[in-house]
Amino acid sequence: MQRTIPGHFAFCKRIAGLALLCVLPGWAWAAELHVPATVEAGQGFSISTAGSGQAIFYLVGPDHVLKRTVSLGNDLQIQASDVRAAGRYQAILCDPACTSATFEVTAAPPAHLSFFLHPSRVPVSTPDSIDAAAFVFDRYFNLVLTPAAVDFRITPASGAGFSRQGVTRDGVTWMHMGSTLHEGPVQVTATVGNVEEKRVIQQVAAEACGLRMKALTSANTVTLETDPVRDCSGNALPDGTVVSFTKVDKAGKSTVDTPIKKGIARVQFSLHGPAQISVACGVALGNELALNGKL
Amino acid sequence: MKSMAEGTLAFRNISPGFVKAGFVKAGMVKAAIFVMTVCVVGCAQSAPAVQLPQVHLDAARLTPRPIEELTGTTVARHYALAWRNLAVALETNQAEGLGDEFTGFAQDRLKQRIGEQKQTGVHVRIVDHGHRLKAVFYSSDGAAMQLLDQAQLEIQTFDGDKLLDTQNAPHEYIVLMTPGADRWYVRDLEEVSAKTF
Repeated sequence: MQRTIPGHFAFCKRIAGLALLCVLPGWAWAAELHVPATVEAGQGFSISTAGSGQAIFYLVGPDHVLKRTVSLGNDLQIQASDVRAAGRYQAILCDPACTSATFEVTAAPPAHLSFFLHPSRVPVSTPDSIDAAAFVFDRYFNLVLTPAAVDFRITPASGAGFSRQGVTRDGVTWMHMGSTLHEGPVQVTATVGNVEEKRVIQQVAAEACGLRMKALTSANTVTLETDPVRDCSGNALPDGTVVSFTKVDKAGKSTVDTPIKKGIARVQFSLHGPAQISVACGVALGNELALNGKL
Repeated sequence: MKSMAEGTLAFRNISPGFVKAGFVKAGMVKAAIFVMTVCVVGCAQSAPAVQLPQVHLDAARLTPRPIEELTGTTVARHYALAWRNLAVALETNQAEGLGDEFTGFAQDRLKQRIGEQKQTGVHVRIVDHGHRLKAVFYSSDGAAMQLLDQAQLEIQTFDGDKLLDTQNAPHEYIVLMTPGADRWYVRDLEEVSAKTF
């Protein structure tokens, strides 16, 4: 059977097409990479390849880039140190055409806590005044995204301690709580697994409560002295807290601010006839005295 | 060195009860929820050839603290700057290109990667088509903000001039940002799987 030139050309095209069909699958197969979908950070693993001969392998990760010549058909060993950072990694194999695959490195188990406690000083008996937040990281400081139970243990200087639990979402958990009744340091410990972080918050007396003063008159002067200044829970206000005494008499209105010393505040006024005297500390008003020979 | 920022701001569902007394300072916007779009199309000093990517910040479900308007604008702007710098640094293999937008783990990791890219001759070109940022956590003391980013990126990996691979798919990142004196820093930037969102 004789072929015309166009017929011969069509025949050659068909042969070439068949040859290409035979070659292409082998070519694609040679560059094939089999990577796991996910790997835990810091865990070595292997990537299988198919084919024969040499190729260049690249691994591109968040903090690491690897390039090496490999023999196809053998497993590629990925060292633990190659996959310490969590995130997406690209594995690329070129022989010389390139094929790629991606896999995700996830965080290892919790190993570090980043713990915030706010504020550093707080008045006693104040609801929702303390905020704690804990970020959970693995030993390579990748954020641990799988939910982890964090225990917040609160230990006041006096009184019983208590705990609150939180479960991380996207690597973080937080809680609010009120301050307890008594002043002094309160230790808050955040724990996840066998990892714990401690922070200390200082509880201080709240506003003065039941503020009272007494007067000692002598000639034309009066000495005013408060009882020990305490808050409603009985905590002594710290020395240095300002107490204001106000006197109104013929000479006019006179206010003296004086700090608490050793738990009490004391001031001396000169008198010009009958006088009205009041005392205040912060938002707390104390008793009033009318000085004209009687209280 | 012109830079231009255009923002649109829509407040909704302001919840006064959510804002604790003394929690939001005078001058701050008492809004727990807002959606903000920052489209920054200007060019900046350090890399005049690269545009800032578009960043859309959604803080609608932010807890436990509401975000202030200025903070939201600043976060979005510095996140955009961070991505612009990151793209420049990964393409040129110059760690200095990262600028001042990264700190902590994020900075350490990127510097290490850029150093190793340089050693191996690899560089990466990022064509940034924008970021949808979702703020999910803002600590009560304002010291940290966590965000989720759905980024539309085309990532081309080269060895010298040879194109090794092109990835053109959505990328998801979990981001930790912390405030500094004049900016918000990217402290942690981890790519995660889409199921995180």
